[in-house]
Amino acid sequence: MSSADPTDLNLTLVRRPKDDDDEAEQFKPLEWGLARRMFGYTKPVKRKVRLLVALTIIRSAQLPGLVWIVSLVIAGPIAHGNLAMIAVGTACYGALAILTDGMFHFRQRYALEIGETVVNGIRAEIFAKMQRQPMSFFHRMKLGRIISRVTSDVEALRVGIQDVAFVSTIQFGQMVFSAAAMAWWDWRLFLVVAAMAPVLWVVNNHFRMKFSRLTRASQDSFSRVTATLAESVSGIRVTQGFVRQKTNAGLFRSLLADHSRYNIALARTSAILSPLLELNSQFFVAILLMLGGWRVFHGSMDIGDLIKFFLMANQFFSPITTIGNQYNQALVAMAGAERVFQLIDITPDWEDDPRAEELPRPGPDSGGMRVEFRGVSFGYDPSRLVLHDIDLCVEPGQSVALVGHTGSGKSSIVNLAAKFYLSTRGEILMDARDIRMISSLSLHRQMGIVHQQNFLFSGTVLDNIAMSRPGASEADVRAVAARLECLDILEALPNGLHTEVGERGAGLSVGQRQLICFCRALLADPRLVILDEATSSIDALTEHRLQNALVTLLKGRTSFVVAHRLSTIRHAHAVIVLDQGRIVEKGTHIQLLEAGGRYAGLYRQFVQVDERS
Amino acid sequence: MPEPQPVAAAAGPSNWKLIVRLFGLAWRYRLHCLGVLGIQLVLLTMGMVGLSMTGVGIDYIRHKVGHTPLSANRLHLAFPDAWPWSKALGVLAGVILVLALCRAVLNYVYAVSVNILVQQKLVVDLRGEVYDKLQRLSFRFFDANTTGSIITRVTSDVQAVRMFVDQVLIQSLIMVISLTVYVIYMASLSPGLTAACLGTTPFLWIMAARFSRKIQPEYAKNRILVERMVQALTESIQGIAVTKGFGREAEDRARFDAANCAVFEQQRSIFWQVSLFSPVVGFLTRVNTLVLLGYGGWLVAQNKLPLGAGLVVFAGLLDQFSGQVNNVATIVNSVQQSLIGARRVFEILDSPVDVKSAPNAVRRPHLDGAVCLEDVSFGYDQTGQPLLRHLQLDVKPGECVAILGATGSGKSILMGLIPRFYDATGGRVLVDGIDVRNLHLDDLRRNIGLVFQESFLFSNTVAANIAFGHPRATPAQIEKAARIAAAHEFIMRLPRGYDTVLGESGNSLSGGQRQRLAIARAVLLEPAILLLDDPTAAIDSETEHEIFEALDRAISGRTTFIVAHRLSTLRRADYIIVMENGEIVQRGTHSELMRVPGPYLHVANLQLVDGYQLQVPPAA
Repeated sequence: MSSADPTDLNLTLVRRPKDDDDEAEQFKPLEWGLARRMFGYTKPVKRKVRLLVALTIIRSAQLPGLVWIVSLVIAGPIAHGNLAMIAVGTACYGALAILTDGMFHFRQRYALEIGETVVNGIRAEIFAKMQRQPMSFFHRMKLGRIISRVTSDVEALRVGIQDVAFVSTIQFGQMVFSAAAMAWWDWRLFLVVAAMAPVLWVVNNHFRMKFSRLTRASQDSFSRVTATLAESVSGIRVTQGFVRQKTNAGLFRSLLADHSRYNIALARTSAILSPLLELNSQFFVAILLMLGGWRVFHGSMDIGDLIKFFLMANQFFSPITTIGNQYNQALVAMAGAERVFQLIDITPDWEDDPRAEELPRPGPDSGGMRVEFRGVSFGYDPSRLVLHDIDLCVEPGQSVALVGHTGSGKSSIVNLAAKFYLSTRGEILMDARDIRMISSLSLHRQMGIVHQQNFLFSGTVLDNIAMSRPGASEADVRAVAARLECLDILEALPNGLHTEVGERGAGLSVGQRQLICFCRALLADPRLVILDEATSSIDALTEHRLQNALVTLLKGRTSFVVAHRLSTIRHAHAVIVLDQGRIVEKGTHIQLLEAGGRYAGLYRQFVQVDERS
Repeated sequence: MPEPQPVAAAAGPSNWKLIVRLFGLAWRYRLHCLGVLGIQLVLLTMGMVGLSMTGVGIDYIRHKVGHTPLSANRLHLAFPDAWPWSKALGVLAGVILVLALCRAVLNYVYAVSVNILVQQKLVVDLRGEVYDKLQRLSFRFFDANTTGSIITRVTSDVQAVRMFVDQVLIQSLIMVISLTVYVIYMASLSPGLTAACLGTTPFLWIMAARFSRKIQPEYAKNRILVERMVQALTESIQGIAVTKGFGREAEDRARFDAANCAVFEQQRSIFWQVSLFSPVVGFLTRVNTLVLLGYGGWLVAQNKLPLGAGLVVFAGLLDQFSGQVNNVATIVNSVQQSLIGARRVFEILDSPVDVKSAPNAVRRPHLDGAVCLEDVSFGYDQTGQPLLRHLQLDVKPGECVAILGATGSGKSILMGLIPRFYDATGGRVLVDGIDVRNLHLDDLRRNIGLVFQESFLFSNTVAANIAFGHPRATPAQIEKAARIAAAHEFIMRLPRGYDTVLGESGNSLSGGQRQRLAIARAVLLEPAILLLDDPTAAIDSETEHEIFEALDRAISGRTTFIVAHRLSTLRRADYIIVMENGEIVQRGTHSELMRVPGPYLHVANLQLVDGYQLQVPPAA
């Protein structure tokens, strides 16, 4: 059963849709502007950067210097048996070694710290920029993409800052110093050595590039493995219920085999590169032996110089591969930096008008906000309106129920009133002020919203309720819960109000989650309450309890209630029936039923089934 | 914020037991492992010969130029004096080149065969085994573990286990062999110099091993802090509507900044340690060179050691030696990581499959669908409070039973007992008069169709999803099932009909459409029993009627259990049971239950109160 026929469409488990991010460039040519912007983030540690540059340059001379001393001692005093000079040379070596490694501590630490400073700064900036984006941004942008900016792309950038620039400088300097030394000893022989450098560079880069491409292919095949695995786990009940275990195991094995093929291809490539590099250095030894030997026998070269050459040549060659790798890293860092900066540079669709003012909060018993829509039209995409010419006036303390099919525009009205979006045409007045001239923050501080599925942050129940009014004490939270008659339910949780919720915490039922959200909204003491399908996913037995909580929450406040449950709608002061973005009926529950229009029809359809008995 | 603690090794089998077991795993691939080791041995020998050749060459040139007498070398190589220098050097260069070529080829073969062993055999086998086992584990396992942690076991934990074979076992064998060879060779050149040069090496190894043990927990802590930072970001985006809705952006930002800075602060201490360690290691390595230069130089000057075949070869070997320092640290880390991974992987492989067919299970490809619960109890833990208590229920073939109850009253578990997702801890469940534990599991489950509260559909075509239980179903069978589920029309309106891939952008289905696909999937198998776990819960009441047609057709002729809260659904049942705290508190038909005070009437009133009012105004 393990033979999966690829032509059989029904015999795959998962087809992973291509994500736009899969197409993202892995490399990007070096660009001065990007690099400057990257290094701009090192400003807070300017002094360290300057020191690091100095340390880097010094180190690039120290490393060949050490080898130079060794070669000098071997070729000179040791070869000629000069004991005193051996001692002097050894002492010199020791002194330089202490100096080199001592300075290395600072060179390494500074580089790491600078890298971390940049990463930290960029993360904070991304976060700040994300927060300023309006809600429309979060509907377009996938969470995974933002996460990969903050993690893998920022990491690539870190490598670019802390390694590429400094390591390349050291390695390049090392090459220059050793080249100079070799040319000084015997420039003809040096030319032969130098001729091999480009070969090494080309070979190394060719393979690194190929390696990166294969890595990408391997990652792709691995994401097919994990996507299948994830769905297998999430869908385990379906799988076992439909007895698909054997089939799935066969499919998974063929995916694993596919993934291992890419891995082997990857291994083959890297398995060619390193022996090739080693072969190259052996080739060099053979040439040096032949050519150098020839020159020594002809008396045009000293045997000591030949030995020095042997030792110094490595200092010249090893940076080539290192710089090649760093160059690749630089390209990756560039690509990462570009994506990060693109995210940072996205201009918000809209921001608060600079002239916007705070919405004043009248006294405690002000009785809610006055909300008025005047000829409001709206489309998430301005060319496709979802609301047309909405006129609506809600007096302080009134409760308005919005009714209509999915897609009729109920949630859009609520989103506009909350200033999550701006209307395309027409104006919205809150307490008789244009909503565009009110700062979002001050408006939101006077609002309380409960959605169908509310997000709970990781933390305790208490934290989650108190988030709507930072500084609220546990007693305040208890008081609010008591007013909603749900303190007993929250206290019955494993650790009471201190029960951990969110991903790590104990699973709460939908009803318990909604209660927390109602508490959260009430604690904010809002003047405008928005309930967007707040009771839709609650089971019938829990709903009863919530009814009383709702009445308490809405009392004395202006409210918009989007609901499917008629029991919720009946209490509203006014019912607004929407169809395809237009208000088709307006009135109280009884008025609309008596009118026998669309609301009555909807209503009958809902209860009809119950009437047949 | 509490100090993050690195994940402590969970209680379980001792490390030694694990290591023995890991050796057992490697033993399965013993021939391949031996082959890999053999290649390394050849490589090692060739490397030594190549290095010696260079030394011999240097000495030969020095001798010919007349500086020194030619001393004997370890390879006992001597060129006939009659040979011209060019011929001798040519031979040497040729040998070096040929050796290098052979080494290159062998290195390639080595790297590829290690990868074939690890990536193509070991990892594939192990992942396949874990996945296979996973699919058989009962739901208790999936209730107790998060998806993320299960995925890690198949992905990175398996990789950690294989590290034991290639990073620990093979690497340490290679290391031991090569170090022994190096030391013997060096000692034969000059015991004194060997001792002096290698004096620092043990310190280096101990330091490297200790450093890595010390820094590992810090890195683990760092990973946790980074995870927290990412989590803070994730939550703040997922909860952006809440944050913005209450105007609490500043507090949210402070939360992220704190997480971000915690990473930064903790990194500082890591940076200090790393920046202390590597210069010290670098320096100790240079001390070796220092000794070589001083002591070795003295030996050469005294003519006790040849310059080329002695000192230069020594320098080369020392270089190899210090290269092994990193290996020691890697091996120490790998042991720790592979033990942690092994614990988690073996945990799955060792989990008992508590639901499986009995050895002499009864085969019944076709069932009639009579279901009987005899004094059934169920408790998650033997000690914990029972979730079901002494249930009695007798359902005849073709009957429809609706179950009403609050969250946690035990209705989903009751349903799970019939296809044996869970086994009753007391009493028995009978299907067609046979205890389900004696029925062949595949037969039992193939006779049961399932629709869950929020049905899981795979990211695959519509057709593949409907044919999930029977992948070889013909298009005609699939369409028939879709028509029963009232899904054919909307499927035909999808961009690519039955070949539309679900989950891609723009191909999102409404709750009602998803449930109808789930019903089609369930009826494709023509099951005798249908289990519907609150199938309308995730659907708007306005569109609920869309799936009633599908439900009615699916239910007819099948024994059906349906969990429901809405009267519109409950009323469809032949009779209704009401559950509270694992017990059946009420049973009867809708009209019977409407006449007695109790929880059913309570729920009904809440929903019907509008219905009675409707009768007041005359319908237009």
